[in-house]
Amino acid sequence: MTELILAGILVLAIACLMLKDLIAAVVSLSAVSLLSVVLFLKVGAPDVAITEAAVGAGVSTLIYIWAIRVMGKRKIR
Amino acid sequence: MRDLILQIVQWSLLVLGLGTLPALLLGPTSSCRLIALNTLGGIVLAFLVVYSLAQAKTLYLDVALVYDIFGFLGILAITRLSRFGKRIR
Repeated sequence: MTELILAGILVLAIACLMLKDLIAAVVSLSAVSLLSVVLFLKVGAPDVAITEAAVGAGVSTLIYIWAIRVMGKRKIR
Repeated sequence: MRDLILQIVQWSLLVLGLGTLPALLLGPTSSCRLIALNTLGGIVLAFLVVYSLAQAKTLYLDVALVYDIFGFLGILAITRLSRFGKRIR
């Protein structure tokens, strides 16, 4: 089960680096933190999982989307 | 019997969650990817609750609670701050 979660994290992280659309990259990064919450819980660290759920899924997504909006550019070349 | 059913539910939720990844990676528009992320969030939430039930640890439910609140905040930020289509104001 852990290997499947790790494979999903790897695929999503590579896609986050390769995508040209910035909103899609932020969505992919949010999915990476979502799967790593499950991974941290499965290896037996619920406090790290709570912190990752609060910071990774919520606040960092908010800050990245805010930065993209301030930058005013949706795609990179 | 109960452990077997909980194991089967965990594996099916994991396979279903990995099944949303093609829609999240290849979705043609950003709103397709956002819907896929929301679906993945719901499936992972169900997985966290079932895993806490299988391990009989009450502390693991707090992870599901915190993720539900902040995942909703993240989805709300993406839908509000990124304007799909026409401008809102």
